[in-house]
Amino acid sequence: MSFLAGIAASITSGIVGSYVVAKRIVFISGSIAHSVLGGMGIFLWMKRTYDISWMNPLHGALIAAILSAFLIGWIHLKHKQREDTVIAAIWSTGMAIGVIFVSLTPGYNVELMNFLFGNILWTSTSDLILLISLAGLIVLATMIFHAKFQAVCFDENQAQLKGISVTKYYLFLLVLVAISVVILIQVVGAILIIAMLAIPAAIAGSFSPRLSKMMGWAVILGCLFTTVGLILSYFVNWPPGATIALTAAAFYLLNLARDYKAT
Amino acid sequence: MAIKSNNLSFQYEDIPILENVSFVIAMGEFVGVFGPNGGGKTTLLKLLLGFLKPQKGSVEILGESPKAARGKMGYVPQISHLDRQFPITVLEVVMMGCLDRSPWHSYTKDAKEKAREALKDVDMLDFQNYSFGTLSGGQAQRVLIARALVSKPSILLLDEPTASVDAAAEESIYKLLHHLKGTMTIVMVTHDLQVMMQQVDRFICVHKEVTSYSQAQVCDHFAQGLYHPPLRRS
Repeated sequence: MSFLAGIAASITSGIVGSYVVAKRIVFISGSIAHSVLGGMGIFLWMKRTYDISWMNPLHGALIAAILSAFLIGWIHLKHKQREDTVIAAIWSTGMAIGVIFVSLTPGYNVELMNFLFGNILWTSTSDLILLISLAGLIVLATMIFHAKFQAVCFDENQAQLKGISVTKYYLFLLVLVAISVVILIQVVGAILIIAMLAIPAAIAGSFSPRLSKMMGWAVILGCLFTTVGLILSYFVNWPPGATIALTAAAFYLLNLARDYKAT
Repeated sequence: MAIKSNNLSFQYEDIPILENVSFVIAMGEFVGVFGPNGGGKTTLLKLLLGFLKPQKGSVEILGESPKAARGKMGYVPQISHLDRQFPITVLEVVMMGCLDRSPWHSYTKDAKEKAREALKDVDMLDFQNYSFGTLSGGQAQRVLIARALVSKPSILLLDEPTASVDAAAEESIYKLLHHLKGTMTIVMVTHDLQVMMQQVDRFICVHKEVTSYSQAQVCDHFAQGLYHPPLRRS
């Protein structure tokens, strides 16, 4: 079950991570990841305080992620000069709101630990179905719209000249990042999400000059890291999310050394 | 009439960049646009392309708004404005000239063949599978010109195409433009007045306002690439 979750997560992070690394929006992705705690906190607090059984913090996470994506996207398109500070503000505000609501929630809160560090070992069947559906959605969106995403990432002016709505496709891409963030938080937690999003794609970048091929490599590498990381964490009894991230980082350094020797 | 601007005014955050700019560019003309940095040259180009909207006045491209006529325009930006680390091949860059705006099609028909043909015209076909970032300035600029030409535009707008380019590449780019002269309307922002003197039909100076000069009108210093007010021969 956990391995399947890892693979669904790797497909997501390989594809979306490639866009993120190529377009240099890693910072934005980190902001979305951390602001998600705000949505989770609010939903968790409402669920426990008012005893609403059908409320799922994961849905709160998704709403918060998409909201931050829209906010950040709007700032990028209309007020680019303020982008950095707004992203930082969203990052800290979302996180702070989440911490406050979690602290106000009655009962012991395993959700906070799961949010921060992932809970891949406790993936339920319903969780897995959600993960696989979301991953499938991302694969479908990429297959249909890849040329347009690539155009908007590489040259917004040219895209606009060809009649492609830069606003729509950039926001669409950020929403995909938001969805990926929610998937990846389950596996490696919010703190290490950047590792899964950026590292496989960054290594893949040195294997191919084409974005589409880079995605393929990133997915394969992601699967490698989650599988090896999970197995390793079992043997040394380390937290799985962190072990996966460390595996990724180790390969990144190896690849860096290989690149350095070649030049 | 290819391009017509009527009392165009544009400001950026309360700073006026262009004021009351009116001019006409005829079909098939080759016009050089020059002026001091910050004077509004790139802004003017962006207004013509419809990337920016003027606060006052209007732009007409072949009788239509820039948005309606964008299929008939080709744009060659400066290579310094693009991310050279981006994972994209030369062929993919040129294929961006054939993007289809409909959600269900990525490119227009025969995009790959058209892209290869355009690369052949700029002598870059051998590089089609190279990473765009590994090209020299001159090679990259030629690829961007191919991208602009692949959709067979009626109007070609270039923003300082020889800015980050070595002398040999510069020569090949000017040869290319000379070859295109007359087949389409060309508007080129440039600092290279000395060379452009031989190529263009007319100069336009952009410095918040726009003034038009023919070669005969400008003083001798102009021909040597130096210009100072007044520009006109007294």
